[in-house]
Amino acid sequence: MLALKMLLRSRRGGQLGLIFSALVLAVAVVTSVALLAERVERALVKESSSFLAADLVVSSSQATDADWLEQAEQQGIRTARIASFASMTFAGDEMHLASIKAVESSYPLRGAVKRSTVPFATEESDIETIESGPKPGELWVDSRLLPLLNIELGDTVDVGDGSFKVSHILIEEPDSGSSFSAYGARILMNWADLPASGVIQPGSRVSYRFLIAANKENTDKFDKYVDWLNQQLDVHDRIITPDEAQASIASTMDKGRRFLLLAGSIGVVLAGIALALASHHFANGQLLQVALFKSWGISANRVRKLYTQQIVLLAIGGSLMGLLIGWGFHQLLVSAVREWLPIALPMAGARPWITGFATGILCLVGFTLPALWHLPTQSPLAVLRRDTQAQSLNSLIRGSLGILTVAVLLFWYSENLYLSMAILLGFGITALASIAVGLVLLRLGKTYGHWMGSIWRLALSNLWRRKKPSLIQMVGFSGAIALLMIMTVVRTSLVDEWRWQLAEDAPNHFLVNVAAYELGGVKNLVDQRDLETAGWYSMVRGRITHLNNQPPSELAVDGHESLRRELNLSWTSDLPEGNKIVQGQWWDTTAAGTNNLAPVSLEEELLHELGLTLGDTVRFSVGGLSFDAVVTSTRSLNWDSMTPNFYFLFPEGYLEDYPRTHMTSLYIPSEDKLLVNDLLRSYPTVQVIELDKIIDRIRSIVSQVTRGLEMMTLLILGCGILVMFAAVSLSMSERLQESAILRTLGSSRRLILGVQWVEFTTLGLMAGFLAALGAEFAVAMLQRFMFSLPFSWHSWLWIAGPLGGGLLVGLLGVVYSRKAVTQPPLRVLNSL
Amino acid sequence: MIEVSNISKQVNTSEGTLRILEQINLSLEAGETLAIIGPSGSGKSTLLGILAGLDVPSSGTVSIDGKNITAMDEEGRAAVRAGHVGFVFQSFHLLPGLTALENVALPLELQGMPDALQTARTYLERVGLGERVSHYPRQLSGGEQQRVALARAFACRPAILFADEPTGNLDTGTGKKINDLLFELNAEEGTTLILVTHEKTLAARCNRRLELQAGRQLEPLSGISA
Ligand SMILES: Nc1ncnc2c1ncn2[C@@H]1O[C@H](COP(=O)(O)OP(=O)(O)O)[C@@H](O)[C@H]1O
Ligand SMILES: [Mg+2]
Repeated sequence: MLALKMLLRSRRGGQLGLIFSALVLAVAVVTSVALLAERVERALVKESSSFLAADLVVSSSQATDADWLEQAEQQGIRTARIASFASMTFAGDEMHLASIKAVESSYPLRGAVKRSTVPFATEESDIETIESGPKPGELWVDSRLLPLLNIELGDTVDVGDGSFKVSHILIEEPDSGSSFSAYGARILMNWADLPASGVIQPGSRVSYRFLIAANKENTDKFDKYVDWLNQQLDVHDRIITPDEAQASIASTMDKGRRFLLLAGSIGVVLAGIALALASHHFANGQLLQVALFKSWGISANRVRKLYTQQIVLLAIGGSLMGLLIGWGFHQLLVSAVREWLPIALPMAGARPWITGFATGILCLVGFTLPALWHLPTQSPLAVLRRDTQAQSLNSLIRGSLGILTVAVLLFWYSENLYLSMAILLGFGITALASIAVGLVLLRLGKTYGHWMGSIWRLALSNLWRRKKPSLIQMVGFSGAIALLMIMTVVRTSLVDEWRWQLAEDAPNHFLVNVAAYELGGVKNLVDQRDLETAGWYSMVRGRITHLNNQPPSELAVDGHESLRRELNLSWTSDLPEGNKIVQGQWWDTTAAGTNNLAPVSLEEELLHELGLTLGDTVRFSVGGLSFDAVVTSTRSLNWDSMTPNFYFLFPEGYLEDYPRTHMTSLYIPSEDKLLVNDLLRSYPTVQVIELDKIIDRIRSIVSQVTRGLEMMTLLILGCGILVMFAAVSLSMSERLQESAILRTLGSSRRLILGVQWVEFTTLGLMAGFLAALGAEFAVAMLQRFMFSLPFSWHSWLWIAGPLGGGLLVGLLGVVYSRKAVTQPPLRVLNSL
Repeated sequence: MIEVSNISKQVNTSEGTLRILEQINLSLEAGETLAIIGPSGSGKSTLLGILAGLDVPSSGTVSIDGKNITAMDEEGRAAVRAGHVGFVFQSFHLLPGLTALENVALPLELQGMPDALQTARTYLERVGLGERVSHYPRQLSGGEQQRVALARAFACRPAILFADEPTGNLDTGTGKKINDLLFELNAEEGTTLILVTHEKTLAARCNRRLELQAGRQLEPLSGISA
């Protein structure tokens, strides 16, 4: 096949090498990122499932529909029902209002329960991991229930009308969550015991959960079932997906994933630029060949066919190679991040491969084809006359085609509008500025170059004389530098943010529900171990009884947990760290509501869920007393930080008279972990929320993700350097020819290299400066819309950009053009 | 074989219409050799381009083998050129990424000749470069490069060979060798040769001569029809 032969031969010409590497790199970057992203995505879904104990949960105030169970059974979908409620438990003379969770024998569908036969067990060897709940007749209980009821393991405890044996200590359930809502000691019992206990009566406050999970083979049926289920839901029911189950880990992972996407997208754009430049260069190199073909009587159609075939072959070959390399690189990435993935990564589906392959095809169609478009119309006369050249496709059309390609690629790949826009705009601004400012700067350089030495004068007037290629090169350089800057800045600020968030001594435990009379004792225990709390918060437990002077409807009560249970109300004069006012105004030190109503600030989503707006009133009942409050502001909370978050906040002076409890957060290092046991033994009513394991996990995730980002950065750096190479080689043959002529005229080696050095350094300097401009803009946009990071000014960009650009580009240029002075001029001329 | 009647060529430039060729007439039989001579800028290359069908005259007609190529479109002229004409240029025009052998074989491959490489090798041997087949143009001297170009031109066995100052870039000694080779091959292959040159000695070796001066034919075609 002639086209294949031609393709293989043009490889030796050198210009094809760049196209090929750019193509391979584009495909490899996209494939590796897409593969990794998809596999991690799948793993995460699986992982979060274990936090839910299921693939999907319907939480409801009503018992699960019999129909749902029937349908699930027919479709072969695994189910488990859970009922949670508070109930008095008795043992001898003691009693305690416990938080009870009754689970079906199939529980948990995902993840595992940890239990022990040693109260307050901390040794790993005392803890057993088991994929089931208690058998009928058994209770698994919180360690602290033992001192509370004054019992031993193996004793009986009465729940409602039933008596059950306390068989195990409950250490951890997969879906325990970390809410502050339930204060009672946790008890896990079997669903089958519910009728015997008789605790669930019409009118009892019970939260039901319906857990479902797919079997391996029937994910299709599962998806269909979920669709069906969605149509059955009413106001009482709420679907909980795995993503919602683990907000803090999910948010870290999400940012990591977004960065991966960003890096991948930048890689694609860089490879696109390299491809466009290389194609331009390639097309120039083909002009003579095409003119010869035409003079030999080859028709334009035949020429078109020959080149189309070559591009198709190139696309297929390059894409396949890219897929292979991408796969290899993704394996490297996987090995770097393997540790934070607790389970084996599921295999990726077809989509990443398709994405990678399509990228290759699209890149060639968008960048190479337009550059070669004019080749078939090349006049055969060019073999006789130098000035006869085919009119290449309008650079406006070519530019738009390129931008369109990049836009399609970016959006398809990232499925994120902000990201695509930020990169496109950042790059667009850089490119436009490069052309406009570049022209001015080049003109200035030419005009004022006279004042400088001969090298400068020659170099600057050369740049002006070759302004078209100079500008194309400048766009290439500045684009590449800008994109590399964007990536570095975002990466650095992400890693910084995580570091700050996960400071070694960040609080990893919450102590909640500390009564006033217990406060001194608890503080003592903490002091004895030389630990420090993050300050004590006071709060009051209350219920909502009225919204806008109306009792909430039955429906609303069913629909929202906050209307059914006691809420934590707290007060502060300063807006807590990490909180942001969304609507309304935070109070000054002297706050006052209207009409003697207490002002209250609500978490913003809760406001919507309760159907309230600013200015509405809410009546709270605290310990039998009622008071009204008016909503004066809403806040968004920061779930990434491990500080207490309050849904309801009041100014100081409104709640002080009500019976209060206290809470704090503190860092407990692992060697002081026994403090928790001491605390619970002495003060069983205190609730300790342990986040140390989660924080350790986040920390290891962050360090692994960071490592992954580092590797990605390297890969993208490779793309950037490729662009530089493509841009430098663009004008090289012309430069070498001129240098050779200068050499034959007796110019010194110093002058020739000096001219090249000055030309490229000037280009690089200008490009670096313009890149800083574009990068600053894009970063601001990305920080605002994609990573929710605060805006910051990066002064180093403005220094590092021009310096680095000038140095790198100058070096590349000189290395490239050294040939002009080390080889005899005739050889250089002949080889052109 | 070639019939040219009354061709003129003018181009529009920013400084008005430029008359490059005016009222050229000539007629050539198969196997004849024609030298187009004249000073630089007199329109020799332009005339050659028109004769070869690479360009069209502003007026007048050119017929090759009785086919009026001026009336054809570019595709039609390309079809006439295909497998019919060969070229040798002043600056050789070898493709730098191809070896000598591949350069010679390329037009043959485009014609779909099955043993293109073998034929190419034979012609390279005939121009004395049998030992240099795998060398790239940059590894060859100017004279050697032009010999490769000759091999490339003759390997297609063209009916007409167009040569535009084939020795213009070479020193006199080398140039003479190339010319000898050109005429030798031409005699062996019986090709019609149209040669642009400004060397009188070279022109003298052709049986027909056409002298241009500022686009005008100095006198009717001289020489004897073979
Ligand atoms: N397309 C064109 N546009 C402008 N000038 C042309 C064009 N083609 C040829 N010329 C001019 O016509 C004259 C003859 O050119 P050419 O045929 O190359 O001369 P020669 O080969 O005899 O040196 C030259 O002055 C050249 O600049
Ligand atoms: Mg000429």
